[in-house]
Amino acid sequence: MTEQQLNTLREQDKNLRDAIQQDAMEQPQMPADLNVRLMQRVAAEKKQPRRIIWPWVAAACVAGMLMIWLTPPKDEAPEVAQTPATEVQQEAPLIAQQAPKEAPEVAQTPTPATEVQQPAPVAKKAPAKTKAQTAEPIATESMLPTQDQLALVHEPEKHASEAPAKTLTERDLPITRPENLKYTPEELALMKQQAHEAYLKWVELELEISKHYIEQTAQNE
Amino acid sequence: MTEENEINLIRGLRKQSPQAQQTMLDRYGRDVFALVARLVPVVENAEEVYQDVFIKVFKYINRYDETKSSLKTWLSRIAYNEAISHLRKHHEAMIYFEDFDGEALSDSEVDETFGHANAETVQLIRAALKHLPPDERALITMFYYDERSLKEIAYITESIPTTVASKLSRTRKKLCRIIKMLQS
Repeated sequence: MTEQQLNTLREQDKNLRDAIQQDAMEQPQMPADLNVRLMQRVAAEKKQPRRIIWPWVAAACVAGMLMIWLTPPKDEAPEVAQTPATEVQQEAPLIAQQAPKEAPEVAQTPTPATEVQQPAPVAKKAPAKTKAQTAEPIATESMLPTQDQLALVHEPEKHASEAPAKTLTERDLPITRPENLKYTPEELALMKQQAHEAYLKWVELELEISKHYIEQTAQNE
Repeated sequence: MTEENEINLIRGLRKQSPQAQQTMLDRYGRDVFALVARLVPVVENAEEVYQDVFIKVFKYINRYDETKSSLKTWLSRIAYNEAISHLRKHHEAMIYFEDFDGEALSDSEVDETFGHANAETVQLIRAALKHLPPDERALITMFYYDERSLKEIAYITESIPTTVASKLSRTRKKLCRIIKMLQS
């Protein structure tokens, strides 16, 4: 049915129009105070402070992103932990012996960051002394690593090639630089323990000094 | 109301001015209440819906598009939808006449029932209107009483004019069938 036809019907349907009109007249009237109540409700809703949550959501997102960004990759720690322990056992005495330039392979042997028992200053000293030795070699036969030691040092390399474990080398990243040193949780715990012990010793020393001063003052009096 | 007045009113509403809000209530409040009361039979509920309608209007006035409809039509659309959703939510138990395919009525019979002025028929139509579902009652009232165009009704009911036209024609016939049923 088209709009025009419907409009014609609207004109014709007098009974229907009258009925709807009468019905509309009898409908409940709007309460007089309804608008007043409504305006009170509007005012009350305006007074309520709006809780803006989007900054909190954004902050949470940023925090999440930072956490993802700052967390180290998962495979880093296990790789370090898998490094064969034998290498370290061999490496430590070699550094202590301050290997001369004649044995560069030994100096460049894979050096795991995990098991380095020596504190950073010891590692630092190694290249400096090596340089000095280059100018003025003092190395003796007794200081040079023996064939057995070299064999022991090279042995882990074989194991490393077989095993999936990765090792760090000094070739690209000289561990003598403190920023390249990576400490394992065990090392960190050890360092903390050492620092704690040193602190305790210092406190004890301080106490002894104060005791000494007190005694001296008493004697003087 | 002049167009300029309406523009000023909308501007005031967009600024959340209480004066403009009061003016809107004074101008359109009665029409909105009538539309809501037609759909929601209980007065207390109709009042609640009426308040919700204007709260929404004040809140979302920035969404009103002058190019699509007049302010009154936009208000009616919100009121219609709010009333329908209220009815759906509250599941008010009402039994309405079901339009099953009973005896077929000829167009001339329908025209005669609604066309010839008769006080008795007017009362019968009024009784029959009560048996119509609220949305159909609202539709027929918008067309016959408010004299709205099909396009306007389609905008209010979120439909299209052809659907509104066929619904109106069907409702008209349905009313006639209810009258026959009441007579018998």
